[in-house]
Amino acid sequence: MTDERIIVEISCVEVWRQISDYVDDDVDPEMKARLEFHFERCRHCQAILDGTRNVVALIGDEETFAFDDAISERITSALAQRIASHPAKDE
Amino acid sequence: MIAEPPDRGAGRIGREGAPHQQQSVPLAEPRSPSAWKSAYASPPKDEASLSEAALIRRICDGESELFVELVRPYQKMVFTTAFSIVRNEHDAEEISQEALFKAFKNLRQFRAECRFSTWIVQIAMNEARLRLRRARRAAEESIDCGIDNEEGDYIPVDFADWREIPSESLERKELRAVLHSAISSLKAIYRDVLILRDVQHLSVAETAAALGISESSVKTRLLRARFQVRDMLAPGLDGYWNMGGNNYKRVRPF
Repeated sequence: MTDERIIVEISCVEVWRQISDYVDDDVDPEMKARLEFHFERCRHCQAILDGTRNVVALIGDEETFAFDDAISERITSALAQRIASHPAKDE
Repeated sequence: MIAEPPDRGAGRIGREGAPHQQQSVPLAEPRSPSAWKSAYASPPKDEASLSEAALIRRICDGESELFVELVRPYQKMVFTTAFSIVRNEHDAEEISQEALFKAFKNLRQFRAECRFSTWIVQIAMNEARLRLRRARRAAEESIDCGIDNEEGDYIPVDFADWREIPSESLERKELRAVLHSAISSLKAIYRDVLILRDVQHLSVAETAAALGISESSVKTRLLRARFQVRDMLAPGLDGYWNMGGNNYKRVRPF
């Protein structure tokens, strides 16, 4: 007996609504199957998916926002000074 | 011009500028950005979290000098949050100093049902918003991109086929600058969610708690934010970001 599944096709607009959750692996298995069925057949939506994934990767990359030791030192120094000069009392 | 949205829920600025604790979020360790993909599930409270709690107790008991050590692991998080909003290193540094000092002054208000990192990033976000308002930069707050109907669907405006990012791309100042510009030019409601989710890697639940909005709103706003940033970067995909090597590819095959 063959394992036949029926995948309900969804529109591009519905795919766009779900892409962000799909990238986050936050869609149920049925929706995931529908989306992947659609991506295999729609180059536009596949391109949107690839671009969205790349945006997430770029924004989350440590290199995107520079933060070096000099900045850290200045923040630490200024904070320590302000704390030291802050009167000890209950806020 | 789009005005800053009113402060919301747990993100409200209190009398001393610290957010009130209103909602519970899972306790978890701060995550390194490189480990973001596995970070959505909050790990259990562990030894480091316990030592953090102990540090907080000692600071509240009078050992103020320990506060610098408490927040050292969160300096980058605070700085990048501020920079994402104000897009200026000098301002971001000042905001970081101010936000951390406000955290110190309000440490007694911190409740352990919320992660310390979430509390700190809320303060940084509020401080950065204040700075923006003072500088009257609200005019730069929003751009229109795509068909952006708050209640309806966001329709992508560019279908560039963007399948590869050379690893060295981020070394290019141009790409980083465009990314910074794209993030900071989003409407505040979208930008804030994007910063917490994709820059700081907070979970949906943590982001919802930090901003005082529903998890459903977090997901909707995140989708729009990601699409808008993608649309803003798309023009550079015509080989611009990839030029100078073998990575060039035609990006609009349709």
